[in-house]
Order: sequence, then C-alpha cells, then structure tokens
Amino acid sequence: MKTTSPVGKSVPRIDARQKVTGEARFVFDMSLPGMLVGKMLRSPHAHAKIVRIDTSKAEKLPGVRAIVTAEDTPKIKFGSNEYFFPYTVDQFPLEFEKVRYIGDEIAAVAAVDEETARKALSLIDVQYEILPAVFDPLEAMKPGAPAIHTAMNNIGVMMPSSFGDPDRALKESDYVREDVFTLPSAAHAALEPHVSIGQYELSTNRITLWASTQAPFKIREAMAKTFKMQEADVRVIKLHVGGGFGGKLEMFPMDFCACLLSKKCGGFPVKIMCSREEVFSFTRRKHPMIYKLKSGAKKDGTITAITGEVIADGGAYCSYGPTVVAAAIMRFMMVYKLKNVRLFGSRVYTNNPISGAIRGFGGVQSGFAIESHIDMLARGIGMDPVEFRLKNATDPNTTTVNKLIISSNGLKDCIREAARRSGWRDKYGVKKETAPGVFRGIGIGVAADVMGSKMYKSHESAGSIIKVEEDGSVYLFTGAADTGQGSDTALAQIAAHELGVAYERIRIKAADTEITPFDTGSFASRVTFISGNATKNAATDAKRQILEVVGQELKLDVPGLDIKDEQVIDKNSGRALLSFDRAVVLCYSFNYGRLIIGRGNYNPKTTPVDFRSGEGNISGSYGFEAQIAEVEVNTKTGQVKVLKMVDVHDIGYPINPASVHGQIEGSIVMGLGYTFYEDLKFKEGRVLNASFSKYRIPRSVNMTEIESVFIETNDPQGPFGAKGMGESSLLPTAAAIANAIHDAIGIQIKDLPITPQKVLAALKEKESGRG
Amino acid sequence: MKTVTLDINQKTCVLEVRDSELLIETLRDRLGLLGTKYSCLEGDCGACTVLLDGNNVLSCLILTLEAEGRKITTIEGMSPGGELHPVQQAFIDAGAVQCGFCTPGMVLASKALLDKNSHPDKEDIVRALDGNLCRCTGYVRIVEAVTAAAKAMEKTS
Ligand code: FES
Ligand code: FES
Repeated sequence: MKTTSPVGKSVPRIDARQKVTGEARFVFDMSLPGMLVGKMLRSPHAHAKIVRIDTSKAEKLPGVRAIVTAEDTPKIKFGSNEYFFPYTVDQFPLEFEKVRYIGDEIAAVAAVDEETARKALSLIDVQYEILPAVFDPLEAMKPGAPAIHTAMNNIGVMMPSSFGDPDRALKESDYVREDVFTLPSAAHAALEPHVSIGQYELSTNRITLWASTQAPFKIREAMAKTFKMQEADVRVIKLHVGGGFGGKLEMFPMDFCACLLSKKCGGFPVKIMCSREEVFSFTRRKHPMIYKLKSGAKKDGTITAITGEVIADGGAYCSYGPTVVAAAIMRFMMVYKLKNVRLFGSRVYTNNPISGAIRGFGGVQSGFAIESHIDMLARGIGMDPVEFRLKNATDPNTTTVNKLIISSNGLKDCIREAARRSGWRDKYGVKKETAPGVFRGIGIGVAADVMGSKMYKSHESAGSIIKVEEDGSVYLFTGAADTGQGSDTALAQIAAHELGVAYERIRIKAADTEITPFDTGSFASRVTFISGNATKNAATDAKRQILEVVGQELKLDVPGLDIKDEQVIDKNSGRALLSFDRAVVLCYSFNYGRLIIGRGNYNPKTTPVDFRSGEGNISGSYGFEAQIAEVEVNTKTGQVKVLKMVDVHDIGYPINPASVHGQIEGSIVMGLGYTFYEDLKFKEGRVLNASFSKYRIPRSVNMTEIESVFIETNDPQGPFGAKGMGESSLLPTAAAIANAIHDAIGIQIKDLPITPQKVLAALKEKESGRG
Repeated sequence: MKTVTLDINQKTCVLEVRDSELLIETLRDRLGLLGTKYSCLEGDCGACTVLLDGNNVLSCLILTLEAEGRKITTIEGMSPGGELHPVQQAFIDAGAVQCGFCTPGMVLASKALLDKNSHPDKEDIVRALDGNLCRCTGYVRIVEAVTAAAKAMEKTS
C-alpha cells in the first residue's frame, strides 16, 4: 500500500513559501501603533565604578519619552545557568555600581525616532571612576589582579571531570605526550540582528515581549525574576528568527529595557534593535580557550588516560559559562572508551565582552584540541589514526566511565564508512606532490551529539498539543523555537505521520509562552528528539480520541483500528473504513460532540549530572559522526585548500533528509570559517573587527565539496528512531583539516585559525630542525 | 525633499523623499516592502539586494533619488499573482532555505544571474552570489537550487 507518510522524506519546509516570497515576518520587520525607538547606553570603559548618572539633560530633549536606569528596576540579578549554578547569577539588567566591560548596559532611552534616541544617549551624563582592568585570563587568575566580581582569583566557574587513576595510567603508558592548543573567540553572526519589542500593559501590569530568540521560555523566566513579577504576567513571543547559533539563548538587557521603557512611557511599545556593530561587540561571543593536554597510549593502541586543564576567557559575566565548560571538558567521553580521565576546567572573568553559548557549546574548542591531540597520540605509537579511533571508539549499549548511558551508537560504522568513501587506505601517509611545492593530505576527526542538556530547569520536558478542528484542519502547538534549522517542519512531519494525515494539513503555532506548552528552547540539538517525542505523543493521543468515536460508531475494537493515508483503516485487513475527514465530522456530531485535543509530553531519560565529578547521563540519547578532510597545502604561500569533506553521521533516522543534510553542510562551512579565518579580535576589551568586512564569515566562494552520508541506527528512544544533530558537524572540522595538513606536510597547527602565515612559520621551524 | 516617481514591481509610485534617503529606507519604512532585509547597512551582506533594471544592487548603498526612472524589483515583485518564479520554486525544492533572512536577497541575485546567463556553471553561480552572505546553509543547496532553476527556466522559455 502506498503511504503518504512524510516522515523520512524531504518535504518542503513548512515556512518555505513565505520565506522565498519575502512574506515571512521577523521581529526585525515588526512595528506596532505608537511604537517608539529604544536605545541602550553602554559603558565606554572596560572596568569602572559608576559614580553618578545624570539623565536630566536628556529628559528635556523634545521627543524623548522615557529614560531608565537601575533606579527604575528592582535591582535583581539574573544568570543563565541559575538552577545548577546559583553562584553564576551575576548580572543586573542595568548596572549601577560598576561596569565590567565595554558595552555594559547602564541606561536606556525611548524616543520618537532613531536620531532623537541617539542624541538623548549622548546627553546622559555618567561619571565614572576608572578601575584597573584585566583582559588576559592568565593574568586575571594571578593574585593581586583586579577583582571583577567577588570570585577568588576571578575564577567564576571551576569544574573537574575526574575518573580512575590517571597518574598511574600515564606511568604505565608506552607513550605519553603533552600539547597545548589555543582557540580564539568567534561570533555567531546570525543575519537577523538581536531585536526586541516590549509592551507593558499598565492596567494589568502585564508584559508582552517579541524577541528574536531561541528560548522564549528562558527569557520569560529571567524577565519575571528581574521585574519581580509572575511568569504568567510575562508573555514572550517568537516570530521567524533569522538564525541563532547559540547567540540568542538568553534574556539580554535590551529585552528587559524594551519592556521597562514601555512601562515608563505609558505603555507605548518600544523596539530596540542592535546594529551589526552592536551584535558583534555587545551580545555574546565564543569563549577563547587554552587546552593543556597530557595523555598516554599503549603500543596496542589503547588510550590509557586523558588529562589536562582548560582555561576559558569568560569575559565580564557568566552567561552559559558552566554549560560551556562542562562540554569543553566532557564531550569527548561520549566518543572514546576511557577509564582514566582528569580534566580541570576554569572559566575566568576578564573585562572582555561576555562569552556565552555558541553552536556546539565548548564542544568546538574541545573538538579541535582533543581530536588533534588524539591524532598525535596515534602517530606517536605508529598507528593509523583511523585504526586508533576504531580501537578506542565507544560501542552501542555501553555506560561510559562518567555514567553516560549510550544505547544506539553508530560511531564505528561512521569511521569505517568515512574511511571507505574517502579512500583513506590509499591516501593516508602517502606523500603526494600535485604541483611543485603543493602537497595533498588527508585527516580525520570524530564527534558526538547530545540531545539536550538540562541547562536551566531540573527537568527537560517539552509538551505539545494537537487540535483537530471539525473541518479536518490540524493545529500543532509547540513551545519549540525554530530559528531556521527546520524543527517546525520536522515536528509537523511527525504529527502528520502519527495522525495518519497529509503533511499539508498541519498548521503550526509555536513558541508563544502564553499559548504553547513549555519547552526549554532550541539548544543542544534537542528539539527533534525531545519536542519530537512530545509531538508524537500528542498526535497519538489525538488519534486515539478519534478512533474511540469511530470504534463506538462502527462497533469495532479500537485497538484494531488505525489511521493511515487519511483513512481510518481496519488494521488486520488494511481495509479503509472511512475517511479522516468523515471520522472527524463524526467526532463533532450531535451524538458525540467530542472535540479532538491531543496532548503529549516527553521527558528524556537522563540522570542528574554531578558537576563536582562530571558524572551523570546528560542526554536521553547520543549521536555520532566521523569527518574526513582532504586538503592541498601550498608550501610556498602557506595556503590550504580543502578539496573535500566527507561526513558520515549517525543521525538515528532522518525525519527530513534534505534538512539534515542542510544542517550538516551549514555546520561544516561554519567550521571552515573557524578553521581558517574567523577570529574575533580584541584590544583592551574592545572588539576590533565588529563588521562583516572585518570579521569574515564564509562566502559562497569558500564552499567546498561535501559528501554527507547517514548511518541509520534507529535509536530506541528517538521519534521514529531519530536523533538530534544540529551542532556536532562543526566539532571535528578544524581538527580533521589540521590533521590533514599534518599528513600533507608534517606540521601540526595547534592554534586556530590556521592562517597561511602560521603554516609558513611552522614549515620554517620544521626545516630549521626544531619542529 | 524632492518628489520622485518610482517604478517598483511594475507599479508607479510618487513620493517625497529626502536627498539622503536610502532606497532600503524608502522600500521598508515608507512603502512597507518588508521582504527586503538588511543585516549590516554597510554593503557587506547582500541581504538588502534588489534589482535595478535587472541588475542586483545593494539597496543600503543606493539613494532613492538614484533609482528614479529605473525599474526596481523587490522580492515582492518576483511572484506576481502568487505564482512562484522558478528560482523561488527551486529554492524550496532544493532545501536552500533555512532561517530565510538571506533568502530574498539570494533569490534576487540568482534571478539577475540567470537573466544574463541562462547556462551558468558552478563557478558562475558561486561568483554571482559572492556578495550575499548566508550563515545557515553553507551555500551548498543554494548553488544546487540555482542550477536547478536554470534548467527549469530553459524548459519553460
Ligand atoms: S544591508 Fe548589508 S549589504 Fe546592504
Ligand atoms: S538561510 Fe539563514 S542566513 Fe541564509
């Protein structure tokens, strides 16, 4: 029987038509009657005491409707990892004692137009007392360094992962090596800037905020807290979002101020939008990190221990720092069977802009450091890096040393398939000069996905509601926040399949905290897995309600009925009994009067993570992948050209293959940017390259050939076997390329980005015999 | 202030504009043509791409006065009567759309290319889209879409 199920098919995105016609509306596009322009006043100093803020001159400027400072707020701090790390709650929506970075928010204005708002900002008189500042995390950790908060040695987050007896294991190793890797900061560079519109209803004391966000419920929580209101009185609405990549996962002071300004000016809506320069300079950035690793292996290829230290420059506030550090020191334990691990992560406050979440959390930094280091370990014992990884890769149905419970696991198949497709055996270790001074090389990296990580709640449940109307239309209500990755589409596919109807029937209403069920947000590749399961459960529930009526009417056993291809069928014979439309009309008829409202909820099977040891099952399931890069290195110019990337990914099961490939391709190209040029630069706390012309992100001409292949492991927990996968393809890219460069010319670059200058310098060093 | 007559999506519109008014401001703020996006206002991202006499230009760098007497096409003019242009259909079919913020600019830049070069190779496409940033897709499916659109347009022409 032919099936119309959309699951497993590359159906068009649910919002594709609006997006190609330009009808899709973003908060960026939105305006409301009476709307005012809001702007933030930010500190020009990296570290200073606020002595006095005088807004009187600005208030007199015609066209200014409201000015707010901390004095208009209840002065309550917020943070992003509050539930597990209450001590990291360290930021006021508007600062009043101190500023800690260039960009720290201290006031906001609302005015009739942009120009007036700008002028008003310049009329606010702030007196500062400059304090000594510190920008280098290593300096900040030294005794006597300027204290940015109250944390000892400015270490805002300290996190160990410690298992087994690494010292003994290192002693018993046949080969031990130490490496240091350094990783720069980077920007999310989503194309839609951060933007919010706040409206305060004075008669009810209720707030509505429209924001370009990945996590409306997270903003609601922080907003209610800092306004000292009930969450029920804060409504956060997401429209189409022009990309997030981790940069829109939190409440920002501008969200808070848009609403506060609205309150102060009598309820007019206030829109605050970042310029591109503000997005680069004052939102969030990737944590720069230093990895010092010392690890060992046996001659037979067993990794004996991985140890070391990770130091992250956290900038002025904690943001999602704890989660980032956790990923930075633990993520590789999903990939390798290890008995002995000791990694210590420190996130250090500096007077730089705030480091936060970014696609992969700390996994991208860890991906580069660990996967380069592992390759060097393999080479150190004379083993092929593919063999070495196969020898140490985790297996299905295992529990790792830090108590991750891995059920389905296609990692070894990913590695083998990537090796086969790339022709690894014939290419690796074979010197190939394709032109004078131009050498080819091949390199590998592997990575794992999580499907969620509890970041700000004790649970990570998501809910869905499915409403079937009398005319047969199906509405899916989900709290999940599609920011472009295609989760709305995947959820609609899941709902359609489970309900047995055409995909085109599904209308989705998403991410409005007042209307849709709770959902923690779009991060940690969790939506398909967690919200997908919730949606599947809601559809099952709706279907059951319909079948009960049909069963009653036709005097048939409900378990013997199903809905497939828009027909209620007899399961045994496959015979169609009546159409879905008629079944729904029946539900709504005089005799039954049954409104169809299905509900579903899903809470992944995880265990609490003990952050003092790093033990606990963070995710309900894990995905895996192997990536192989082929490069060509010009030893005269230092230029590296990536000829091809092969990515083999255990995605469980692809709900929408085109969209999964799209995530992988987008990640890899983003990874190319991080590998070769993305480097957010700072001087004394100021971003030096806050524009697309100075901070280069990959352009179409920088694309490379990508072969993306799925391994289907049909995860027992996943909806239809699917796993989440929006981040991990970014993790191994830089290491795979760095390892390929080593294969080509025998140098290992340990600090990103890999520039021609660094390649030439390393070659020179090698020739002079020191490398 | 000057009075200009603009030809936008084959409709004539007369309005008063400041000398310094940018085309993007006129389109978005005055005429409500919100399909045209911007991401930098500095000529670096391509999100504000529109067509001027069939050529793709950055509406954040063009004064509205300069557009007078020329044919302006925005994304809203690509599918008159709701019928999608083959480029738009190809973007949908190839999965070339993610967040969609770059999409209007991408679609218009692709149309400009295909109107001039009906058989572009991959190199041509990649070069034609060099000024249009996309952070989501990695461009792979966008290039595929343009290739497919070229084929589709060949069939219909
Ligand atoms: S807005 Fe970026 S180029 Fe015009
Ligand atoms: S689809 Fe998001 S920027 Fe291109």
